[in-house]
Amino acid sequence: MLRLAGVNKSFGGLQAITDLSFELAEGEIVSVIGPNGAGKTTVFNLITGVYTPDSGDILFEGGSLKGLRPNAIVDRGVARTFQNLRLFTNLTVLENVLIPQHHKLRSTWVSSVFRTSGYLAQERRMHEVALEKLSFFGPRLMGFRLHQSVEVLSYANRRRTEMARAMATGAKLLLLDEPSAGMNPKETREITEIIRRMRDEGGYTILLVEHKMNLVKDISDRVIVLDYGRKLAEGAYADVVNDPAVIEAYLGKRSDKTSAVARARAADGLVAGSSVDVPGSAAGGEERS
Amino acid sequence: MSARPGDAGGNGAGARGYRPHYLAHRVRNSLLTLGGLAVLLVVLLLVDGGASVKLKQVFALFAIWGIATVSLNLVNGVTGILSLGHHGFMLIGGYVTGLLVLPTATRDNLARSARSELSDFAMGLSVENWFRALGLDSLTTPETLWARFLVAVLIGGLMAALFGVVVGFPSLRLRGDYLAIVTFAFGEAIRLLASTPLMSSFTNGALGFAGVPSDIGKSVWWTFGFLAVTVFVMARLKYSSYGRALQGIREDEIASEAMGVNTAYHKVLAFAISAFFAGVAGGLWVSWVGTARLDLFLFFLTFYFLVAISVGGTGSITGVLLGTALVVWVRQYGDPLEQTYALSTWAVAAGLVLLAVAALAFFLRRVRRIKPDLGPVVYVPGALGLVAALVGLLGQGMPALQATWQGFGMRAITLALLLITIMILRPVGIMGRREFTWAWLFRERLDEPTEEERAQDAWLSNPALSGRAGAEREDDEVDA
Repeated sequence: MLRLAGVNKSFGGLQAITDLSFELAEGEIVSVIGPNGAGKTTVFNLITGVYTPDSGDILFEGGSLKGLRPNAIVDRGVARTFQNLRLFTNLTVLENVLIPQHHKLRSTWVSSVFRTSGYLAQERRMHEVALEKLSFFGPRLMGFRLHQSVEVLSYANRRRTEMARAMATGAKLLLLDEPSAGMNPKETREITEIIRRMRDEGGYTILLVEHKMNLVKDISDRVIVLDYGRKLAEGAYADVVNDPAVIEAYLGKRSDKTSAVARARAADGLVAGSSVDVPGSAAGGEERS
Repeated sequence: MSARPGDAGGNGAGARGYRPHYLAHRVRNSLLTLGGLAVLLVVLLLVDGGASVKLKQVFALFAIWGIATVSLNLVNGVTGILSLGHHGFMLIGGYVTGLLVLPTATRDNLARSARSELSDFAMGLSVENWFRALGLDSLTTPETLWARFLVAVLIGGLMAALFGVVVGFPSLRLRGDYLAIVTFAFGEAIRLLASTPLMSSFTNGALGFAGVPSDIGKSVWWTFGFLAVTVFVMARLKYSSYGRALQGIREDEIASEAMGVNTAYHKVLAFAISAFFAGVAGGLWVSWVGTARLDLFLFFLTFYFLVAISVGGTGSITGVLLGTALVVWVRQYGDPLEQTYALSTWAVAAGLVLLAVAALAFFLRRVRRIKPDLGPVVYVPGALGLVAALVGLLGQGMPALQATWQGFGMRAITLALLLITIMILRPVGIMGRREFTWAWLFRERLDEPTEEERAQDAWLSNPALSGRAGAEREDDEVDA
C-alpha cells in the first residue's frame, strides 16, 4: 500500500533520514520506534508532504506522493495526527470532525450559500460520517460534547478528537503520532483497543510512532526501529527488541559506565512491556558518543 | 439569523441534553425572526417617512459601512488574515460605479470643462448608453436610475473582486504581519495609482468627479436591501462547509492543510468574496457622498472598519454590525463633542464617562465572579472620575476652570477611548465570537450536559468511579 524507496532528507548539514525504505501492506499496524531525535516524526512529515524528500520516492497505491501539497496527499488517502495536537481550538468537536470532510464536498460556494438540495444532502452525509467516527470513542465525545469547543476538553479527549478528525478525512492510511502521549495507563489500554478496532472494523491501515512499549507490543504487526535517521531493524516486536543493535541504540554498549541496575531495569521495561517508558534522551543520549 | 451551526444537518445526538423540541423551537424562532424583521421594517418606515434628513443619512451610512465591515470580517474575522487594504477595494468599486452611473448632463459638463482629465473613452462608459444601445430606453429615465445603478455596482463589485484575487496571491506565501503590510501597501497603491496621469483619464486625478446621483446611496431601503443581501450571503457562507474550512484556516493553517483543505484556494476565495462586497459598499459610499474623490478612500476608512470589528467581536457578523452602529453613531452624532465648553463642563463630562467605565468594570467582575469586586480597573477610573466630576461641579466659580476649550478631534478620541475600554474589559469584543441568535438569547445551550449526561461523564472521567485507583499521568514526551 505504502512504499518508501531509498528516501533521503537533510536539513542543512544534518542528515535527518538516510536511505530509508520500508513497505506497508493493507490492513497492517506498523509501529515506528526509536530514541528521541531518530527521525520518526520526520518520516511522517515526509509522507504527508510537509517536507519533500531530497531523493528517493514515496509511493502510495502505486502513485508517487513526492512533491504533492499536504492537502493533495489527503485526497489520495493518507491522513495524520500531530504529536503536539493541532486541533481547531475555538471550534466545536463536531466542527473539528466536519472540516476534514470539506475536501470531498462537490458543491461550489454559491450552492452552499443557497443551500441547494445537493449541498444539503452532502452536509447531512458529513454529519453522519462525523458521528460515526466520533462513536469509535464510545459516548465520550457524543451528546453535549459534540457542541463543546475543543478548548474545554481534557487532554485525552483532545487526542481522541484528533484521531476522529484524521479518520473523517476518508483516508485509508492513518499516521498516528504518539496517540497515547499524555494518557494514563487505563486510557492507554483503551486507546490500544481503539486503534485495533480502527483496523479491524474501520479497515484502516495504521502507521504509528509511539514511545509506550506496552502499546507497541500489544498492537504492532511489525516494528520498524529508527536511529539517527537509519533503519536499524524491522520485524516482529519480540525479534526487534532482542536485536543487539536496538538494545545498543536505546541503552548504549555494555562497556559503558552505566549502572548495571539501571540498565537491567530499563531493559526489563523494553522487553516485558511494563509501563516504564524507555529512556531515550536521558540515558541514551550521553552514552552514545 | 436564527440559524445555529448544529442545526443544519439533522444531527443524531439531538435527542439528549438541552435538546430543543425541534418543531416548537423552530416555530418560536421563526416567529421571533419575523417579529424582529417587522420591527426593523417599522423603524425603517419611520426613519424614511420622518422629517429628519440627517437620521435618514445616518441609517444609510450605517448600512453602507455595515456592508464594508461585514465583508472585511470574512477575511479578518472568519479566515483570520489581517487585511488592511479594504479601502482600496472600495475605491475600485466606488469609482467604477460612479463613472458608470454619471448622468449624461454631468458628462457633458465634464467634457466641456478645461480642468477635466477624463478621456472620451471613459466618458463613453455609461450604463445609460449601453441600455440605449440595447433598446432598453425605458431604463434610461431618471426614475429607473436603480436599474443602471444595479448594473454599475455589480460591475464595480466584480472589478474589486478581480483585484481581491490579485491581493489574495501574496497570502499564499506570507503570513501574519507581513501579509498585513502587503494588503496595506496594496490599498495605498491603488489610491496613489488612481491619482497618477496613468489613471486620471478614468479617475480625473485628484479632482475626482462630482454629480454622482445620491438617490440610491441615501435611500434607506436600497442600502438596507444591499446590507440584507450581504448579511445573508456572509451568514450562510460562515455556517456552511466553506465557512468551516475558512475558520479552520484561522485556527490552524497547517492542520487544515493536513486535513485536506486547499488553503490556497480558500484564502483567495475569501479575499475575492470580501472584495466584491467591498466594491459594492464603495459604489454605495460614492453615491452617498455624491462625489468620487480620492480622499474618501483614505486608510482611515479601513481603520474605522477595524475599530467596528474589534469593538463588536471579531468573526461575529451580528457583533460587527453592532460595532458599526457604535462607530457610525459616534462619527455622525459626535458634533457636540467638538464644540467649545468651559473647562468645568469638560471635567464633569470626563468624570461621568470614567464613572460609567468603573460601573461597567464592576458589573463585569460581578458577572464573571472575579474576587474582589473592586479591582484596580474599578477603583482607579472610579476615583479619577469622582475627583474630576467633583472638581468640575464644585469648582465652577474658580477662575482657572472658567476658561473654555474647543474639543478638536474629540470624535476620534472618543472612538479611541471606546476601543481601549472595550479591549481592556472585554478583549474579544462585545459579542466575542458568538452570534446573536434566539437560542443564545434564551440561554439554550447545546454544549451543556443534562443530568444524565453529567453523571455518565463523571463516571467516564473519574478513575475512582470506574474502578481504578490512582490516576498517574505520564508527562508529555518530547520528540525532536
